[in-house]
Amino acid sequence: MEEKYSSNVLSGGKLGMVEVPNSRLTRYIVLLVVTKVLKALGIFESYDILKVVHIVHFIFILKLGSAVILLFFQKPFSSGKVISKRQWIKLLKHAVFSCVISLLGFFGLTLCGPLRTLLLFEHSDVVVIALLGVLFTSSGGGPSKTRGAALFIIAVICLLLFDNDDLMAKMAEHPEGHHDSALTHFLYTAIAFLGVADHKSKVESWSSLILPFGMIIFSVMILEFYVEAVCSAKMETPRCARYGTIALFLSALLLANFWTHPLTDQLRSMSKPPQQVSTEHVLSGGVLVSAVFFIMSSSILSSPSKKGQKGTLVGYSPEGTPLYNFMGDALQHTSQSLPRFIKESLKQILEEYDSRQIFYFLCLNLAFTFVELFYGVWTNSLGLISDGFHMLFDCSALVLGLFAALMTRWKATRIFSYGYGRVEILSGFINGLFLMVIAFFVFMESVTRVLDPPNINTDMLTPVSVGGLLVNLVGICAFSHAHSHGGKSCSSHDHGHSHRHGHGGHGHSHGSGGGGMNANMRGVFLHVLADTLGSVGVIISTILIRQFGWLIADPICSLFIATLIFLSVIPLLKDACEVLLLRSPPENEKDLNSALEKIEKIEGVLSYRDPHFWRHSANMIAGTIHLQIMSDVVEQRIVQQVTAILKDAGVNNLSVQVEKEAYFQHMSGLSTGFQEVLAMTQQMETIKYLKDGTCIM
Amino acid sequence: MAMDGMMSTSSGLSYHNVGDFYPRKFGPKPDVVPSGVTERKVGPLDKPDMVSVDVININDSDVHMHRKKHEHDTYVLGTIHPFRKTHRSIFGKLVQEFRLVSSDRRSWRILLFGALNLLCTGCLLMWCSSTNSMALTAYTYLTIFDLFSLITCLISSWVTMKKPSQVYSFGFERLEVLAVFASTVLVQLGALFILKESVERFMEQPEVHTGRLLVGTFVALFFNLLTLLSVRNKPFSYVSEAASSSWLQEHVADLSRSLCGIIPGLSSVLLPRMNPFVLINMAGALSLCITYMLIEINNYNAVDTASAVAIALMTFGTMYPMSVYSGKVLLQTTPSHIIGQLDKLLREVSTLDGVLEVRNEHFWTVGFGSLAGSAHVRIRRDANEQLVLAHVTNRLLPLVSTLTVQIFKDDWTRPLLTGALSSSASIAPLGPAEGYAALSSSSLPPMLMSSGGELDPLTSTPAKPSSPPPEFAFDTPGRNVQPVVLPAPGHHAHRPYGGLGLPYGAPPYTGMMNQGLARPGGGLGLGVQGLGAGYGLGVSGSGVPSSQSYRTAFGGSTAPLRFGTGNPLASQSQYRQYRP
Repeated sequence: MEEKYSSNVLSGGKLGMVEVPNSRLTRYIVLLVVTKVLKALGIFESYDILKVVHIVHFIFILKLGSAVILLFFQKPFSSGKVISKRQWIKLLKHAVFSCVISLLGFFGLTLCGPLRTLLLFEHSDVVVIALLGVLFTSSGGGPSKTRGAALFIIAVICLLLFDNDDLMAKMAEHPEGHHDSALTHFLYTAIAFLGVADHKSKVESWSSLILPFGMIIFSVMILEFYVEAVCSAKMETPRCARYGTIALFLSALLLANFWTHPLTDQLRSMSKPPQQVSTEHVLSGGVLVSAVFFIMSSSILSSPSKKGQKGTLVGYSPEGTPLYNFMGDALQHTSQSLPRFIKESLKQILEEYDSRQIFYFLCLNLAFTFVELFYGVWTNSLGLISDGFHMLFDCSALVLGLFAALMTRWKATRIFSYGYGRVEILSGFINGLFLMVIAFFVFMESVTRVLDPPNINTDMLTPVSVGGLLVNLVGICAFSHAHSHGGKSCSSHDHGHSHRHGHGGHGHSHGSGGGGMNANMRGVFLHVLADTLGSVGVIISTILIRQFGWLIADPICSLFIATLIFLSVIPLLKDACEVLLLRSPPENEKDLNSALEKIEKIEGVLSYRDPHFWRHSANMIAGTIHLQIMSDVVEQRIVQQVTAILKDAGVNNLSVQVEKEAYFQHMSGLSTGFQEVLAMTQQMETIKYLKDGTCIM
Repeated sequence: MAMDGMMSTSSGLSYHNVGDFYPRKFGPKPDVVPSGVTERKVGPLDKPDMVSVDVININDSDVHMHRKKHEHDTYVLGTIHPFRKTHRSIFGKLVQEFRLVSSDRRSWRILLFGALNLLCTGCLLMWCSSTNSMALTAYTYLTIFDLFSLITCLISSWVTMKKPSQVYSFGFERLEVLAVFASTVLVQLGALFILKESVERFMEQPEVHTGRLLVGTFVALFFNLLTLLSVRNKPFSYVSEAASSSWLQEHVADLSRSLCGIIPGLSSVLLPRMNPFVLINMAGALSLCITYMLIEINNYNAVDTASAVAIALMTFGTMYPMSVYSGKVLLQTTPSHIIGQLDKLLREVSTLDGVLEVRNEHFWTVGFGSLAGSAHVRIRRDANEQLVLAHVTNRLLPLVSTLTVQIFKDDWTRPLLTGALSSSASIAPLGPAEGYAALSSSSLPPMLMSSGGELDPLTSTPAKPSSPPPEFAFDTPGRNVQPVVLPAPGHHAHRPYGGLGLPYGAPPYTGMMNQGLARPGGGLGLGVQGLGAGYGLGVSGSGVPSSQSYRTAFGGSTAPLRFGTGNPLASQSQYRQYRP
């Protein structure tokens, strides 16, 4: 059953897993729960044993015991297939790895106690795989898995931060000591495995340990192995994992509560006087919360994903079953590796002037920021660190601009049928809004400071603001360079275009391109300008405060700067809005009007309607127009004339619909709604009247 | 990818043609123009028909449109405006627009809520500074967002009152989209600011006073929910439904699906997905309550910052899909949910007879919902442009309300036939007939031949001779002009139509095969074309009643009549008039 549906990506609510009713599986579940409780018991016991027995001895005995028992039960050499040489190598690898893992696990047990070890270590493979899938692949399997992973991470964080185990205190006291001891432990391990040197041990009588060891071997290794195997054969693996984990964690919690209790001392097979105070590794709020989170996350993560992948319905097969197209999946396969992607986009960035400028300035800015942050952390100066974060915040605008400049050159797709040129304008708009927000916050802050001027420590301010000013001045130079070159580079760009397309719009490329740089670059430039103003303001106010002790100078400076930023952003926002609202481009308005006049004068053209012209991106003005012509004129000629005229006016993406009277007749014949035809014919008629009237007179 | 190639080639091609064509345009052409125009315009016979047919009462909007069109035309025609109106100040304009909006009763409510919201925001901001709580500040930004959404609502009611102007030819519907985009982006930027502040706070956590925290939370929650539920916010409700669901919604939907498994009654409230604004307000309030509790009980001041980060992330999650949706509208992209439908229509279009390919197709949304688009349709050289145009428009118009279809042919300048005189004569009159022939089945030609006689009475209508002769005059490219233009006016005045086609038609009939098939149609003129149209409609599957198709056919070549035939009843009565 499992295999059948797990391969079906579409298993939705109705098609989903066929769950076997719990009643039939009760005995297996009970078996599993009992086993897990025993396992928890075994782990707790081994924690006690590990206090007296060295870890290497312990693992050696554990492995030896389980190996003997398994050998006796499984008879690997006498029955079954012969193991090949390759399999032997695999076995060897597996053995080494599992040894290392159990060594680490039990080492952890000695450090942080049985409960925390169980919480962190004993997760079923299903859970771990689901977690890794959510964290490292994009299609994790729906929101529930993401939630599970988030819970898991929160649980780990809870355990790390909020669990005030005394271990943490020890760790804090000797931060270096533990690494050292771990290393020595590994060394000891290696030596002890070779059997050269005998490690001294605190054990007085090995005989008293036989029973506990037998118990541990039985519960932790043998019983768990068999029961897991049986349960995953009879139940589904996820369900098995869910019940097992819940049972394990709950019993661990209970045991942790009662382990140090005097009642359990009798239960303990090792009746030794506790060496330490019983407050060691007790329950705490943090560990409780994290245990709850762990239980929840493992039950979420181990539940089979009910939702399939996202697919778009493309149609129905002849049998009537729906067919889906898995776009996401296809995209995932085609996406290249990350380093390659970075390399490619870096190359693209460096190709063009605009994006190269932004990129270099971004690098400079980031370098300055990190120097500032580093220095701030080193000298433990909070002002520097917060200023560094502020710079990072500003860098986000640059990143946006860079991304937009990169995107602008992407090829047109089905969805972006005009190409990505408009992204630049949108990014300019967003940058404008960004600046507005910044101006608003600065304004608010300075208003509160005018009312209550705080005492400012000016020691650190001057070098930082001078550094920022220098960086920003470099930026201003670079971008104003771009500004002055904007027209030129743009026109040369157009020149290249016009070479390809003949020489239609060459004369006008200067007119349209010379209007200044594009919205994106303007946004970035304004941002840098605002930063520079900020630095200048800080320097001036610092001087004023130092010289005259005017504390109010600082907020007044910021007020002034906020106003300046606000005022400088308005034109950018206005232009971007106009483009986004599909206004007909103001700089071409005159040309367009005269072009429309010219079109009316073309012989055979009766009239035009619905002239739409709008700037799509920095170097594309699109337009559509409907023309009514006499029935005896060749449409293609009119189309060409109109295209040529509008091309002269700067429109370089044009659609002309040429309609004769026959068209309206056909439309009415095709019975496209009575009202539409009515409107159309009336329009046609009114035009006709006018024209006729003028012609007769 | 394939489309890129197509687009580039086409643009290159058209520009090339322009270059070719340019010099010729100012060459011999103008000589021909005046005669053609005057000929066309002075049609005394047309007049009575048009007047008599014009019985349809015109409703208000049409008058308006008409007037606007008129104004618009005069505006375009006149280049010099000596007394241009001086621009009013921006403030004055704003006041005027505001008065326009506030004339509506419904906007009063919005204004009232806006005032309330301002009050509430002011209070909250004060409490934010007094409690020194970052989480409450983040929550206050949601209140500010509500203010933005109210402004958007006002704008959308303003937009419905405004008509497209000459400069904003698509109307102002986009302003709504822009307002939605701007407000979602502004809130996200505010959330970014909160994130930055929170990072700074993590290093040095100031103490948070819990005195007004809970009060502020509940006041803000109450006002937000009141605003959300009592003001019908058209643009935002549209966007929140159309945009893909945010991660918050997805998680809640996922949780509530399992909850509804236990309590099925909740499914009407929680499924399929909750209103994102209600959701984020609730979630924010919840996290603030948790913050309050933890600070009160354990004095964990860091929880405040953590919950500020959580609220900021939730704000991002909620607003991001909406800003992506509205941003895509602003970027003039094809909405992805339309693509399937559009593809189907384009496939249909490309299977129309005579259509070779559809390229440069741009479809995008003007405001929320209304689609605009343009496409270039390349057709066979011998296909009828107007017929194809009508069919293409007919297919696409139900989906795309503002449609422009450019029909183009490859080397149309090269004449179809090689003979100097006959070619120029035959192209134009043959065009329509061929289009019909092509559309109809191959069994048409004999029918045409036979039916020509029956329909003959129609050809004696006084209107029809006006159409063919100017075509001769205009169509002739380049050197072929002279010989044809001269006879044209002569024919026009007195020559019977039946005789017109035949003399020109004879040579090519023997010359080319496929032209030859349709030639009789051209020669016999009007009636036959009409029949062809009827067939064409039948083939295209629109199931037109015969009388209507007949009417179409009739109008198909009579210039003056067709202006009046918008009304089917009128046209039929007219048709009856012409019956002898």
